[in-house]
Amino acid sequence: MSDELLRVNQLNVRFPVMSRGLLRRQTSDFHAVKDLSFHLNRGETLGIVGESGSGKTSLVRALIRAIKPSSGSAVFNSSQGQVDLCQLSDKQLVPLRTQMQMIFQDPFASLNPRMKVGEIIAEPLAIHAPASRAEHRGRVIEMLGRVGLEASAIQRFPHAFSGGQRQRIGIARALIMQPALVVCDEAVSALDVSVQAQVLNLLADLQAELGLTYIFVSHDLNVVRHFCERALVMYRGEVVEEGAVDDLFDRPQHNYTRLLLSAIPSIDPDVRLAPLSRASLGLPIE
Amino acid sequence: MSSPQLLQDVSSARLTWLRFKRHRLALASGIFLVVIYLTAGFCEFFAVYEPNSRNPRAIYAPPQQVHFIDPVEGFQLRPFVYGYHLTINPDTWVREYTEDHSQKFPLQFFAPGEAYQFWNLFGASRHFVTVPDTGYLHLFGTDKLGRDIFSRVLYGARISLSLGLLGVALTIVLGVLIGGLAGYLGGMVDNVIQRTIEVLQSIPTLPLWMALSAALPPHWSPLGVYFGIIVILSFIQWTGLARVVRGRFLALREEDFVVAARLLGAGRLRIIFRHLLPSFMSHIITTATLAIPGMILAETALSFLGVGLRAPIVSWGVLLQQAQNFQVIILTPWLLIPGVFVVLVVIAFNLLGDGMRDAADPYGGSNSA
Repeated sequence: MSDELLRVNQLNVRFPVMSRGLLRRQTSDFHAVKDLSFHLNRGETLGIVGESGSGKTSLVRALIRAIKPSSGSAVFNSSQGQVDLCQLSDKQLVPLRTQMQMIFQDPFASLNPRMKVGEIIAEPLAIHAPASRAEHRGRVIEMLGRVGLEASAIQRFPHAFSGGQRQRIGIARALIMQPALVVCDEAVSALDVSVQAQVLNLLADLQAELGLTYIFVSHDLNVVRHFCERALVMYRGEVVEEGAVDDLFDRPQHNYTRLLLSAIPSIDPDVRLAPLSRASLGLPIE
Repeated sequence: MSSPQLLQDVSSARLTWLRFKRHRLALASGIFLVVIYLTAGFCEFFAVYEPNSRNPRAIYAPPQQVHFIDPVEGFQLRPFVYGYHLTINPDTWVREYTEDHSQKFPLQFFAPGEAYQFWNLFGASRHFVTVPDTGYLHLFGTDKLGRDIFSRVLYGARISLSLGLLGVALTIVLGVLIGGLAGYLGGMVDNVIQRTIEVLQSIPTLPLWMALSAALPPHWSPLGVYFGIIVILSFIQWTGLARVVRGRFLALREEDFVVAARLLGAGRLRIIFRHLLPSFMSHIITTATLAIPGMILAETALSFLGVGLRAPIVSWGVLLQQAQNFQVIILTPWLLIPGVFVVLVVIAFNLLGDGMRDAADPYGGSNSA
C-alpha cells in the first residue's frame, strides 16, 4: 500500500489585495502558499502543522479546490486515472468530488441548520447517485451506525446534537461516497479533549475499515504525533521540514520546528512552559 | 427530559411559530389582518350594497346607530336601525339628519338583499347583514351621491389590500432576483446593480411615482391602471430588498455549510435553492411584511392626489379623495372612515412584521424558546 495518491508540485496560492475606494484596483497580492511540493501515499495519514497564518488551510483548500490555486500542479490518482486538480474547471471537478472530501473545523457552522441530519448526510448521494429515497435512507443509516450515531438521528436537526456528535455527522457526510482522500481541516480542534480522543479513534477505525487517506491539518502537535505517520511543518507558506513524525518530534532540524515543540505544554503541572524565543532562533517576530 | 416532544426534534419552522405566538400584539394583528383580508375577498357578501348604488333618501347621511332597545317594546334580541328624518337648516342650508323613530328597519343576517355578481362568476343576493327592501342600512353613513360608505370601504379594501400583496410579491421577485445576482456573481455585475440602486434610491419617491403614473395612458381600462400602479410601486420598492438579499448572499456564500455543499459537488441552483434561500427566507418574508404598508400608503397617497387609481375603481385612496375638502372634518367626518382603516391596517402590518422579525431566528436571541 505505498502507491502514490497525490503528488503536489510547486503549488502557489495568492490572494489579491484590492485598493479601497471606487475603482478597487489590485494593488498587490498575499502569497499564502509558496512553491510547495509534497507527495501523499495511499492509506497514509499526513499531518500538516504550523502556526496560525502559516498557510495550512489555504493549502488544503486549494488542494480540494475550495479556492483556485494560482499555479502549480496537484496530480491525483483518481479511479478514472491521473488528473491534475489545479487544471480542472469547476464543472470537471464535480465527478471527482466523490473521491475527495473534507471534514470541517467548526461542527456548528458546517451543517445547514435547516436540513435534517438525514438530508445532510444524503446530500452527496442526491447529487452523485440519484436513487430512491429508501435506498438512500438505508445507506445513511448504515453510515450513521459506522460513526456511532443512532438511526433515529436522521429525523433530527443539527441543533439537537453536541459538538462531537455534529462532527460525527460531518464525518458521515464526507465518507458516505467512500472517498479515497479525506482532508481534515482542524477537524478536532473545536472539540473538548475527551471528545477529541473519541473522534480521532473513530477516524482511525474508519481509515482501517475503508482504506482512507488523510491529510490532517492541525496546530496541536500532540494530536499530530499520535495520529499521523508523516508530517509537514509549514511556516510562512513554505514547508520548512518534512518527515516521519517520530523523527520530526525527536530530532527537529529546523529552528521553527524546535520553536513549535518547545511550546507544547507538559502533562506534568510542575514543568513550567518555556517556549523558545523567536529572536534566539533567528526567526522574524511577526 | 421525557416530554412528548423534545426541543431537539422540533423543526425550525415550528420553533419560529412557537416564538411568534408569544408576541401577543403581533398575533392579534395577524388575526385582524386575516379577518380583514377575508372580508375584502368576500366583500360582495359582506357589503350591504354595490359600491355604486345610490340611496336618494340619504345624501351625506351620518352613520346609523344600531339599537337593541325600543321605546315601546323595550329590549329585543334583533338589533335594528331607525330611518333618517331630513331637515334642511334654513340659515346654512346644511342637511341635518335625525333618527325617525317611526321608521324601524330590523337587521337581518344571511338574508337576501341587493343582488350582486359574486367575483363576476355567479349571481347571488344573500348578504351577511341587510335590512328589508323598504329600508336602508348605512353603518358608516353615505357620501354626496348617497352611496353607502361601509360597502365602499369593503370594496375599496379588496383593491387596496390586494394591491399591497401583489406589489410586494413583484417586489420580492425583483429584489431576490437582482439582489441574488449581485450577491452571487459579485464583481462587475454587483457594481452596476449597486450603483443603479443608489441612483433609484436618491430620487424623491413621490414625484417619481407621480411622474410615472401620469405617464399611464388615460385610455387604459381600470384593470390596466390597477396593474400599472402595481408595477410602478414595485419598480421603486425593490431596491431595499435587493440590498438585503445581496448582503445575505455575500455573508452566506462563505459559510462553512455552503462551502461544504460546493465541495460535495452541488451545483449553483442546488446551493441557491437548498442552502442559501432557506437560510434567509424568514428575513425576506419579514422584510416583505414590513413593505406591504408602504405599498398601501403609496397607493392611497397617489389616488388621494388623483394620479393613482381613478373613479370607477373603488380603493381607499379614491374614497379619501372626497375628504380632501376641509369642510368634511366639521360637516361629514364619516367620510374619513376609510382613512381609519388605512391606519389600522398599516399598524397591524408593522406589528406583525415586528413579531415575525423577532421570531425569524429561532436559534438566536436572548429569549430562546
